[in-house]
Amino acid sequence: MGFLAPWFLAGLAAVSLPLWLHLLKQHRNDPIKFSSLKLFERRPQSSVKHRRLKYLMLLALRLAVLALLALAFANPFIRRSPSAIASGTKLVIVAVDRSFSMRAGDALERAKSEARAVIGSLGAGDTGQVIALSGRTELLTQAIQEKPELMGAIASIEAGDGRGSLGELSRTLRSLAEAAKKPVEVHFFSDLQKSSLPPGFNDLKLGPMTKLVTHEIAPAKRANWALESVQAPRTIGDPKLTRILVTITAYETVAAKKPVSLWLNGRQQAAKLADIAANGRMTLEFQGLEAPYGWSRGEVRLEGGDALAADDVFRFAIERADSRRILFVREERQARSAFYFKSALAATGTSNFAVDELTPAQTGGVDPSKFAFVVLNDPAYLPEAFIDALKRLVTSGGRLLITAGPGVAGQERVPVLEAKVEQSKYASRSGERFLTVIKPDATHPAIQRADRLEGVKFYQAVRIDSTNLRLLARLNEGTPLLAERTMGEGRILFFSSSFDNIANDFPLNPSFVPFVEQTALYLSNADERPASAVVDSFLELRAPGDAAQPARQVSVEVLDPAGKRALTLEESVKAPTLTLAREGFWEVGRQSGRELVAVNADRRESDLSALPKETVEIWQKMGSDTGTSSSGGPEESKPWSFWWWLALLLLAVTVAESLFAHQYLKSERPGA
Amino acid sequence: MQQRYLDPATLAGISGLDLVAKTVVEGFVSGLHRSPDFGFSQEFAEYRMYTPGDDLRHVDWNVYARTERCYLKRYKGETNTMVTLLLDASASMSYSSLPVSKLEYAKFLASSLAYLANQQRDSSGLIVFDDEVRQFVAPSARQGHMHRILHAIERAVPGKRTDYAKPFFHFQQFLTRRGIVAVISDFWEDPEVVANTIAPLRWKGNEVVLFHLLDPAEVRPKLSAPVVMIDIETEDEIEVSPEYAHTEYREKIDAHIEAMKSAAQGAGLDYMMVQTDQPLDAALREYLSKRQRRL
Repeated sequence: MGFLAPWFLAGLAAVSLPLWLHLLKQHRNDPIKFSSLKLFERRPQSSVKHRRLKYLMLLALRLAVLALLALAFANPFIRRSPSAIASGTKLVIVAVDRSFSMRAGDALERAKSEARAVIGSLGAGDTGQVIALSGRTELLTQAIQEKPELMGAIASIEAGDGRGSLGELSRTLRSLAEAAKKPVEVHFFSDLQKSSLPPGFNDLKLGPMTKLVTHEIAPAKRANWALESVQAPRTIGDPKLTRILVTITAYETVAAKKPVSLWLNGRQQAAKLADIAANGRMTLEFQGLEAPYGWSRGEVRLEGGDALAADDVFRFAIERADSRRILFVREERQARSAFYFKSALAATGTSNFAVDELTPAQTGGVDPSKFAFVVLNDPAYLPEAFIDALKRLVTSGGRLLITAGPGVAGQERVPVLEAKVEQSKYASRSGERFLTVIKPDATHPAIQRADRLEGVKFYQAVRIDSTNLRLLARLNEGTPLLAERTMGEGRILFFSSSFDNIANDFPLNPSFVPFVEQTALYLSNADERPASAVVDSFLELRAPGDAAQPARQVSVEVLDPAGKRALTLEESVKAPTLTLAREGFWEVGRQSGRELVAVNADRRESDLSALPKETVEIWQKMGSDTGTSSSGGPEESKPWSFWWWLALLLLAVTVAESLFAHQYLKSERPGA
Repeated sequence: MQQRYLDPATLAGISGLDLVAKTVVEGFVSGLHRSPDFGFSQEFAEYRMYTPGDDLRHVDWNVYARTERCYLKRYKGETNTMVTLLLDASASMSYSSLPVSKLEYAKFLASSLAYLANQQRDSSGLIVFDDEVRQFVAPSARQGHMHRILHAIERAVPGKRTDYAKPFFHFQQFLTRRGIVAVISDFWEDPEVVANTIAPLRWKGNEVVLFHLLDPAEVRPKLSAPVVMIDIETEDEIEVSPEYAHTEYREKIDAHIEAMKSAAQGAGLDYMMVQTDQPLDAALREYLSKRQRRL
């Protein structure tokens, strides 16, 4: 025992005050003389002794008040083990993993059965709490003692599609342990997937006085083939040109041949046999689809059976629509540039663009606003009317891509962009002198996936005045290679070289196709979302508003995979996002039309390999650092201050002293 | 007309018992001016026919003038009465919860009685006693005797215990004539013992009056806390609680006073209960009124 503020003990000297007062008071109680005591009687109980007893009680209470006051201010403490502080009872948390991987065989049922046994063995005074782990940790009950309610909560647990995260579970356990303020015993029923581990062990830290008991629900077999991903265009123009790439991953398997089929709206479109190596990974490609106009529900299925059947289906949503048109303006002699540009767009297999080639002379009467965007390929001459139409287009929100070559170099200013042409830069192919890209802005969509344009050799480039331009990439001698300018509500992207494989070898470089694809998507303002989403990802229902332009109150209707409304009326008007919590096809009805969203479970759940025992032990010891452990090691005692108990006692003694003093000192009623 | 009584505390402020007695008696007598024949021996009794040998001084000549018959005016105790005062000066008489102790009050009362007797030219005597006879002044009606009595009263101081047997035995020794015996005491004794001790005086034809003098705190003690009480005479100690003093003691003192009164009446003694907060002349007046009614 000790005192946190021992100097307050000096206040104990104040106990001398009541002693002094009471001693003084004693002298005032002298016996009195009376004429005769003939009529008085001796009583068995001495009233004076009784009075003295009361007097001593009053004195003792007053001394106690002062002593307790001084002790309370001195803040006494004793060293106690945390479990002793918690007075014997504990909180038993039953955590059941209901993540996607628990769909393997009867894993979830076995987990629930074992969890019920733990609830049944709850001790008297112990409280229980049931939580479920899926994409998020769900508290199914409060900390209660009623076993039927706890049993009911366990029975209500159903398999989920989310990805279990031990980091998320540990975070929840920490907050529960801090709130409980008593020993916590966690029983975790899970397949303990290795893939559930957070990036750092620090995220596994448990709360104070937490003992973790893991119950591994091992699957009957771990060999699992999973459809890891399906890459399909979200929007297609020509179904026959559609390419669908399927990636299959094998976990703890032997080499096997598995039939893989492609389905669209319930109809099988194609089937292939996948030759998968042991623990291997392979990619299959399906070419061409028979897709109707509008949204279609696509599925890739893997046949053959394995430990986790749920990951043998991968869903994707695909929309067939008319191709978006791109106006490509070039001189007659610049056919190579158009060829490489069109080839690159076609090579993506996921883009839905059609390119209309026109010469400057053919642009008369053409309305550029009917195109997704316009490409001016090294324009040497353009009709004034067309230039004006392009300016109006850009100012009103249109997009324009300008490439530069000898045609632009011969002019004072770049058409439409109005930037001053400073000079042409030339390098010799024969002398192996070339320019390369430096300082590319990798955050810009146009070059985000273009691998920073590495390895591209530039021989000719046109330097322009970069004032008012946002530079996205430079050549190593300083010439701006890619720049962007905002005009009105539209944008102009300027590429200071050409696509003809003469001024550079860019069209032959692997970064050309993604550059063209991303630039086309960026300039056409196209939706770049993939054809499928992951469970527990968010679907944006409406564009976020700001102070100047708040989000519009437009109703959005969402049907979940079961066909039920996923939003309340209020949410359908106000909610900015929706969590896609289940696998399947979600239908989103917006003002602009209907949309289909395919949702698949996170395929990291397909790896059923369990955590090593050593890792589990380390996790359990993350609780022992704070006082208790599953191994029952020595507990570190902590100072436990009990000044508030003294304060409560002080209050009680003060009340008793007041009552006692009132009884003792009250004066007799006259004539009573 | 409102009668103004003399507060004992006021009397205590007057120096000299003669002045106190004079103040009490004259004030008292002047208050009774319509009954001038009040007194120990001035009470008119009857008329009777003159017979030869009667003293002509008692002939009512006014009646003779109207009726031409001689009638004698008869008075009760027309002969001079001997008034004997027995003053208890035991230690218990010194108790006081007021400015005037019981002994002082008893002195005022005795002085007043002696003064009253002297006014009527009756002889008066005094015995001051506790467990012994402390002072004795033989009855006399001579000039200056009054001062001797007052002086003796003045010198009375609280003594020891009370013992009624010795002073009354002593008193019986010199009692030769019938008269009035006034016993002034707090009578902290068994009423039967008091009555049995004093009753023989009555048998000898004396008129005996007991002035039972008590302090108000003896009748209605007020305690706010338990206290140890010490008997003034015996110095015994006893612990007394307020509850007892306020309940059982009051019943006992009331019963004691009632028993005292009953015992006195049973023995043919006059009894007067006087508290020291009672005006002295009122007490005196009450006694004389009762005596008048009895006669």
